[in-house]
Amino acid sequence: MNDVLDQLNRVRGVGGSLLVSNEGLVMASALRSGIDENQIAASLGTLLEGATKIAQVFQLGKIAAFNAGSDQGGMVLVSTGPAFLAIIVDPSANLALLQLETKPFVERITQRLTLKT
Amino acid sequence: MESELDRLRKKVENFPSASLYNRLAELARDAGSIDEAEEVCRRCMREFPRNGHSYVILAAIEAERGKREDALKLLRSAVERDPRSVSGYLMLGTLLLQDKDYIKALGYLKQAAAIKPNDAQVTARIAEIERIQAAIAAATPAVATAAAAASASGEIKTPMGGEPLVPFAGPMTTAIKAAALSTSGSRLAALDALCGETGVRGALVADWHGRVVVAKNMEAGQDELLAALSSEIAKSSTACQAALGSDRLTTWALLAGAGQVLSFQRDKAFSVVVLADPGVRPAMLELRARQTLIDLGTA
Repeated sequence: MNDVLDQLNRVRGVGGSLLVSNEGLVMASALRSGIDENQIAASLGTLLEGATKIAQVFQLGKIAAFNAGSDQGGMVLVSTGPAFLAIIVDPSANLALLQLETKPFVERITQRLTLKT
Repeated sequence: MESELDRLRKKVENFPSASLYNRLAELARDAGSIDEAEEVCRRCMREFPRNGHSYVILAAIEAERGKREDALKLLRSAVERDPRSVSGYLMLGTLLLQDKDYIKALGYLKQAAAIKPNDAQVTARIAEIERIQAAIAAATPAVATAAAAASASGEIKTPMGGEPLVPFAGPMTTAIKAAALSTSGSRLAALDALCGETGVRGALVADWHGRVVVAKNMEAGQDELLAALSSEIAKSSTACQAALGSDRLTTWALLAGAGQVLSFQRDKAFSVVVLADPGVRPAMLELRARQTLIDLGTA
């Protein structure tokens, strides 16, 4: 799975990527050195738990994506079936374009994970 | 007669392995030979750098010495080296729980629970945090009543000098909410433009702690739940941003098959949370949300 993440990181605007289970466990990681992937995964676990509760209470259906951002960049979480792909986004990135360019990677990861499970 | 500690010392010299080093360090620590335990851990770290357990043992030693920051640093190294280290996650969760950092503590403990679901200590710690969170939630309405009373007496004014901006200290009960809204029709009106947008089902303004300031088109009880969960998400997102080197969060959006939730915030103070149909463009909502914060005198 790391090979896909490494390729994904070459897309313009992507500053790193991480695959986490729905519980926030790291499944694969391609982050820049110095970034604490466990700290990110722990926060993502809590975040996904809250997001799932909101989706249940307000009957929003299955979570497709989660975006968080500031003027210094952000993070996009995309559902890949049994896991979420977290993409670190550079501040200069065009989010719409990024979504298009990362779609094939999301599909590849979803396919691999679905085959495994 | 040769003690188990002596036998282990010899064995480690002849057949060094990470598990033997760790066992020796634990025995030495339990026997009160703290310096020896530390030395054994450090040798293990040098010779078996991928082994995370020696970091956990050394972290326990440092924590007992009162060096909590060093202990936390070692524990983060431990789970980085061994992402399945239940003892590492457990101790991280325990130390953060002692620091009252419940969200991070719960995150680490849940990682431990995901690896070892029936661990008694992990389950007990998670239950402890959930008890604390429930107690905090149960205790806050009394404070909210006091805050509302203070507001009614006109003690607190908005920065703009208009009607009082209630410093809500707890989830608003229906009575407090009714009292607050009866004296501040314009506060509710601040959400009119936002809720008038096509596809917007409802919206609310909440503070950083997840307490509702004002809500519109939300069912009873759901506003408080949405505000509380949104606050939790905002705090987790902020922690993620911090790990990535960014110190603030301005927006987040949860996109699901049958709807979306968007949150726009300002300086860890107040946020506007919008419940909308799928496909509604966030850009227009963001403009309206920012205007809502300005109208409320919070921006």
